[in-house]
Amino acid sequence: MAHEMTKKQAVVRMIGFGAASAAVFGGIFLFANPLTEIFSRGGMYAALPIATVFLVSYVHGGFASNLWTALGITAKQPAKTLRPTATKRPEVRATLNA
Amino acid sequence: MDVALDTLKFIDLTTANIIFLFIVGFIGGLVSGFIGSGGAFVLTPGMMSLGVPGTVAVASNMCHKFPKALVGAIKRFRYGQVDIKLGLVMAASAGVGVQVGIKLQNFILDKWGQSGSNLYVSLSFVAVLVIVGGYVFYDAMTADKSGKPEAVAPLALRLQKIELWPMMTFKTAGVRISMWFTVPVGFATGMLAATIAVGGFIGVPGMIYVIGASGLVASATELVIAFAMGLGGTINWAMHGMVDIRLTVIILAGSLLGVQLGAIGTTIVKESLIKFVMGSIMLIVAVSRALAVPKYLAELGLLDVAPGTVAIMDKASFLIMCGALLMGAVIILGSMYKARKAHARQEQEAFGQA
Repeated sequence: MAHEMTKKQAVVRMIGFGAASAAVFGGIFLFANPLTEIFSRGGMYAALPIATVFLVSYVHGGFASNLWTALGITAKQPAKTLRPTATKRPEVRATLNA
Repeated sequence: MDVALDTLKFIDLTTANIIFLFIVGFIGGLVSGFIGSGGAFVLTPGMMSLGVPGTVAVASNMCHKFPKALVGAIKRFRYGQVDIKLGLVMAASAGVGVQVGIKLQNFILDKWGQSGSNLYVSLSFVAVLVIVGGYVFYDAMTADKSGKPEAVAPLALRLQKIELWPMMTFKTAGVRISMWFTVPVGFATGMLAATIAVGGFIGVPGMIYVIGASGLVASATELVIAFAMGLGGTINWAMHGMVDIRLTVIILAGSLLGVQLGAIGTTIVKESLIKFVMGSIMLIVAVSRALAVPKYLAELGLLDVAPGTVAIMDKASFLIMCGALLMGAVIILGSMYKARKAHARQEQEAFGQA
């Protein structure tokens, strides 16, 4: 488990990811029409919208995560107690049938 | 650089449209982060109500769904809730289910036309949601509220005892069960995803009641399935040029905020709340879909309904569906707020005693 991030660290990271996220969204909407046209050409152009959503999920996802941490909304207890396997694998024992 | 877009395929974006998509994206993300699925059933008709053609709405929705599911799955994996192996086995079998579901849909479309196909979709929706949603809701209402880990479902316990080769062990879920009981759950998830676009409504209850995972692990693992299936579907739609990247990124902007909040919520509130939210949403969505049935029966000439009544029922159906999602979000946020307040009070009391 990664170390707990302080609110101050989260704010710094939120600003960094937020700036990157704003740049990505700004770029997309500044060239909205040509990008929409190119991204919907089909065939190998399919890679473009997929790569874009991966990029957005990294930068905007990073921003969102740090935003909630900075606001003090964090997970209460990482890894709740998980139940053990109900049925166990039967033990294989060597037997001698003499 | 200005390029004119094909107006038949791509709508003009207004500020009101952007705000609507962002908010629905956020609420849909919040619910998915919490129960593993949700949002798609409002987003697709929501986009269509803005004038987006059906195929573009489905494609753009799917293109936002898989990165959202990925972010949610990573977050919940960090909380130790995701069973990757179970998710991948389910996703692979769901992939086969989707193909069979599409074949079945095409068969119905050829035989009974568009109205027949719509009727089949609505009836499947209502039947599955009432039966499965009703059981999930009943289970949530009768669950032990003391905060103890959930007991394994009786059917799952019985199936786990059957030693039918090959047996599979899912460590995070704490389950050892035959592949012959695991694959059909994934297959049914895919079939339902191809029919009503919300496979999670069968995938999560299937993992809980048939396989024997807890609500927490099932809802988290569903995000792995949603990622794999969403990515596959998106590649297909994008290769046909149906994704409107503007709509996708606006929804994603809201849903990435929501999905992480929903994931955090699962660690704060009682485990039984996941089932409660899921069961409630399923039952309300069933009512919404039931309202669409008379329209298709009328189109097939099986029922006489005035066009004015059909229009009102259509609107009511969409509003009830939005209401279901909104209710889910309110319950999640309200419970998170209450749980945090109680936690703060406990900490203060402990500090006072020290």
